[in-house]
Amino acid sequence: MKIKLTVNGLLYERDCAEHTTLLRFIREDLGLTGTKEGCGMGECGACTVILNGHAVNSCMVLAAEVDGAVISTIEGEARGPSLSDIQKSFEKHHAVQCGFCTPGMVMSVKELLVDNKKPSVAEVKEAIEGNFCRCTGYTQIVEAVMDLTGRPDGKGELEHV
Amino acid sequence: MVYEFRYLAPKTASELAAILEGHKTDGKILAGGTDLIPNIRNGLMKPQVVIDIKKYEGADLLTFGAEGLSMGPAVTINDLLRSKDARERYPVLCECAHELASHQIRNRATVSGNVVNASPCSDMAPALLCLGAQAVIRSATGERIVPFTNFFAGVKKTVLVPGEFLERILVPAASAGAIGSYKKLKRIAGHDLGIVGVLMTRHEGRLRFAVSSAAPTPVLIDTVGQNDSPDEAASKVLAAVSPISDVRGTKEYRVHMIGVYVRRLLAEVK
Repeated sequence: MKIKLTVNGLLYERDCAEHTTLLRFIREDLGLTGTKEGCGMGECGACTVILNGHAVNSCMVLAAEVDGAVISTIEGEARGPSLSDIQKSFEKHHAVQCGFCTPGMVMSVKELLVDNKKPSVAEVKEAIEGNFCRCTGYTQIVEAVMDLTGRPDGKGELEHV
Repeated sequence: MVYEFRYLAPKTASELAAILEGHKTDGKILAGGTDLIPNIRNGLMKPQVVIDIKKYEGADLLTFGAEGLSMGPAVTINDLLRSKDARERYPVLCECAHELASHQIRNRATVSGNVVNASPCSDMAPALLCLGAQAVIRSATGERIVPFTNFFAGVKKTVLVPGEFLERILVPAASAGAIGSYKKLKRIAGHDLGIVGVLMTRHEGRLRFAVSSAAPTPVLIDTVGQNDSPDEAASKVLAAVSPISDVRGTKEYRVHMIGVYVRRLLAEVK
C-alpha cells in the first residue's frame, strides 16, 4: 500500500507492505537509521519518535496506521553541523556513552519540553521512564535537561539527583 | 515484521462490525497495538487480518453526558489523562491510568485495549470495577451492555465473542467524585507490570476495593463495611483473591502486600 508521511518536515511517499512497522519504514524505506530497535516490544524506548506531537514506540506502530502523520526523528534535530539545544546539553553533560538510547531519549525530552518549559526532576524522570540507558546512567541525562531548562524556580545550584 | 498479514481500517462502526463478522477466526482487532504487535512479532498470535478499530468516525470520542463518561475504543490512556474534566470528576480512574506502563505506551495504548486484553494485572480494570463502569459491546447483530463485574472471564479472556467489539466504556455519572487511591507494587520505580495492585475507593459512604495481579481476573470486593477493622477488611479482600507465585513475586509476598495495602489505604483514603 502507498504510505505518505511527513518526517522532519519533508513529505515522503513510499509503497510498503501492510505489516511493516513504523520503525522499519523509517529505517529501511526512508533510510533514517538514527532511530534504533532495541527490544521490539515497548520496554526500552530506543525506537521512540514523535508522532503527531506525542512520543511513541515506533516498533509497536504499523506504518499503515499512521498514513498522513507528521513525525519527528533524531535526524531532525541538528541543522547541518549545528546540534540542537537538547543535543548540545547532552554533549555538555556527558549524557551519551554508547549512544544507542540517545535518539529515543532526545525524542522523549523533546516532547516533554513542548508543553513544559521548566520541568521538575520528577517530571523529567517520568518523561524518560520508558527509555532504558545501560551505560551512562540517568543522572547525566536528567542533569542535561535541568541545565537546559533551568531550575523550576530559576535559581540555585543544579541539584545532583 | 517478517510475519505477513492484511491491514483493514473500516470507516464506520457498522463496517467494522461487518468485517469482524467475516473474520471471526482469522481476524484480530488492533487498538493501541502495544500488546498485539509484540505478540505477532513474537509468534504468539498469527492473525491473517488485522482490523484497525481506531479509524471509524467516533472511535476517538471521550465525552461527558447525563449517563457519565463515555470513551470510544481509540481513546488512549493519555487522552484520558489530558482531559481536565476526567481528572476532576474521576480522579481514581486517572490515578490508575497514570500508573499504566510508560509515557510512550500511554500515548498509544487505549483504555479499551487494556480491559479487552484482560490481563490479571490490568491497571484500568480496578478503577472501572470500583466505579461501576459498563462495557457497551457491539456486533453485526446488535448491542449489549455488560457491567465490568461480569466482563472478565479468565486470564486474557473476556465475555466478548468473535464478531463483537467493545464500542464504548461508560463510567456512570453517579460515580463522579469518588475518592480513592491505587497502590501498585512494582519491582522498579519506573514502568513495570504490577506484582499486586490494590485500589480503594470511598464514595457516598461505601467502600470498595479492587485488586489486580492476584487472581485469574481483576477482582472487586464491595463487602467491606465502614466500621470494619483494618484486619477484618484485609481478610475480606484476601478471601476474594487467589494469588500465585510467578516470576514477579511469590504467593506469600502477594498475600502479605495486599494486607499491607488494604490497611494503609483504609488509613489514607478519608
